[in-house]
Amino acid sequence: MKNFFIILIMKILNLCLKICGKHGGNFLGKIAYSWNPNIFKYFKVHCPVIAVTATNGKTMTNNAIGYVFKSAGKKVVSNIEGNNMETGILSTILKNCSLTGKIKADYLVFEVDEGYVPVVFKDFPLSTLVILDFFRDQLDRNGEVETLILKINEFLKTYNGNLILNTDDPNVARLGKANPDNKNIYYFSVEKYDFASLEQKEAGEGKFCPFCNTRLEYEYYQYSHIGKFRCPNCDYGNNEIYKLATNVNLKERSFKVDDITYKIRFNSIYNIYNLVAVIACVSLYNIDTNVIKSALSNFVLNNGRLEEVSINGVPTIINLAKNPTGSNVSLRILNEDDDEKELLFVLNDNLADGLDVSWIWDINFDNLNNVTKIVTSGTRAYDIAIRIKTSGFDASKIEPYLDLHEAVESLYKTNTKKYVIANYTALQPTRKELKL
Amino acid sequence: MKELKILYLYPDILELYGDFGNIQVLKYRLEKRGINVEITPYSIGDNPPNFNDYDLVFAGGGADQEQGILAKDLIKYKDNIKEAVNNGVFFLLICGAYQLFGKYYKDVEGNIIPGLDIFPYYTEAINDRKKRCIGNIVIDVNLDGKETKVIGFGNHGGQTYDVNTPFGKVLYGNGNKFRDEMEGFFLKNVIATYLHGPLLSKNPELTDFIIKHCLDRKYNENIILEPLDDVFENLCRKQLLDRFLSKEKKP
Repeated sequence: MKNFFIILIMKILNLCLKICGKHGGNFLGKIAYSWNPNIFKYFKVHCPVIAVTATNGKTMTNNAIGYVFKSAGKKVVSNIEGNNMETGILSTILKNCSLTGKIKADYLVFEVDEGYVPVVFKDFPLSTLVILDFFRDQLDRNGEVETLILKINEFLKTYNGNLILNTDDPNVARLGKANPDNKNIYYFSVEKYDFASLEQKEAGEGKFCPFCNTRLEYEYYQYSHIGKFRCPNCDYGNNEIYKLATNVNLKERSFKVDDITYKIRFNSIYNIYNLVAVIACVSLYNIDTNVIKSALSNFVLNNGRLEEVSINGVPTIINLAKNPTGSNVSLRILNEDDDEKELLFVLNDNLADGLDVSWIWDINFDNLNNVTKIVTSGTRAYDIAIRIKTSGFDASKIEPYLDLHEAVESLYKTNTKKYVIANYTALQPTRKELKL
Repeated sequence: MKELKILYLYPDILELYGDFGNIQVLKYRLEKRGINVEITPYSIGDNPPNFNDYDLVFAGGGADQEQGILAKDLIKYKDNIKEAVNNGVFFLLICGAYQLFGKYYKDVEGNIIPGLDIFPYYTEAINDRKKRCIGNIVIDVNLDGKETKVIGFGNHGGQTYDVNTPFGKVLYGNGNKFRDEMEGFFLKNVIATYLHGPLLSKNPELTDFIIKHCLDRKYNENIILEPLDDVFENLCRKQLLDRFLSKEKKP
């Protein structure tokens, strides 16, 4: 009875928010959760529940899975705005359930913060869990990556649903062994691409085998610590692959899976991994490959995740980068583009960003390809300027501005192509300054 | 051409929190002055180094689990390291490396991981997550009679006790322990500290102090370092010192 009234009140609150033109974020979930932390038990779910977790790529992958299902004519309930903690997911459910807790949908698709998988799915069914990658991320807020992985591993020990794992991330693939009784493990991978390297180019995790502590051997690195690895001692890393992307062509923006060519709207190796995960996931639900193909050829994100826009006629590519790997992926795209360009890097150190900005030293700024000027801004504009200068980029071509407006003004003095990288709290103010 | 030799310990393991940047800053400031720098990485499985062959030894912080793996390796060089310290080789040790050079590290479960026992301090982890020392730090440091403020960022659960010769006096943030007045450990040729940032990126005066110390020892002279363009560093220091020190002493 209690839950009935909680939902009723939340429905009324939601209506009020709507009237005021507010989205509410995780507001409803926050109140409902504080009134009853066991409320997840109350909901009646009669459809598959899919969750995506990772350090990077959650929003994109989650939204792409939802987009494919929708393209197949299915009703999808999803937290596409990225509210991915227990309260955010609860908000999404509350908005889409009946007073008796029934959720009417063909699929529930959630992106879930890495730390909250065990919290949300303690009392809520889960059919498929997709895990993309684990990287160092805001260490002062999240702690070390290992702690996080161990928590998810603990949760997976009793989980028997589908588990879709990136076999090229040693920190992810290891989770396939958490429950030896689970027969529903599906690994995905991407064939070596043109810019893969023999040496690791960017900071990464997982140097040692999680099972026997032997140093892992890599045949190649795609980016960061993602690549073809193997433990020379216990053979960890040798998994049967369910979906493999081949013929990766970033210029043409295409790749193949099971001999079907997918044309996509993205041009980074990191996105190929996300999209193979999407294909692996939806194929478990027998979605027609033609539907997947056409959906992926249209799927874009317009929220500063590799957003491509034209500003006063100047081509501009904007990407959110809240950790070293996110930034390194952005710089990979920049370096794989031979055109002349200018870079704006906006770095804040607000609470939601993590107060510690030392992660910028894990970004690889070496040998930037045809970059003629770099403007820096944000509350840590000088820190990032020092970082870039130390990597060898000519200091006289770096302009730091604490004021974002001045930074953008200086950036658009020329018509050269622009790349914009902004961290978490810097992204929306930057987009606003760019009049997006 | 003058040259400094740097031994960089466990670059693939002690590589959290951007400590690698310290090596980059040293290299940058040396090369800008036409001084050659040779950086030798050493990690598990490599040929044993002789610590006496280097002018500067650097080690940073790492993940807890991996730090346990390397402690066993490092202890093999205990006598050689002791000798190098006594010979005046400069040691710059950050966070985890700082702890490893002490008597021991006691983890949350109470297990004791023996340190190199080269310096007299010891570290004990605390279970209370709220008392983990996380945040920006400013300390007052005396470098051969010259007072300067050093800016960095701390992130450690271990509380370090029995430091008689601290690196600096805390003006903002935490020190060796939660809300401690003192930060780090300082001997003539040893700086051990919890400051990330990386430490040297915002503290050119400290970097040059270390460089001068190493050059003077190696070439037996009193070198005057050529000044560099530190516009960004100075702007950064001014901004951050204003921001941190205008607030109350403790964040």
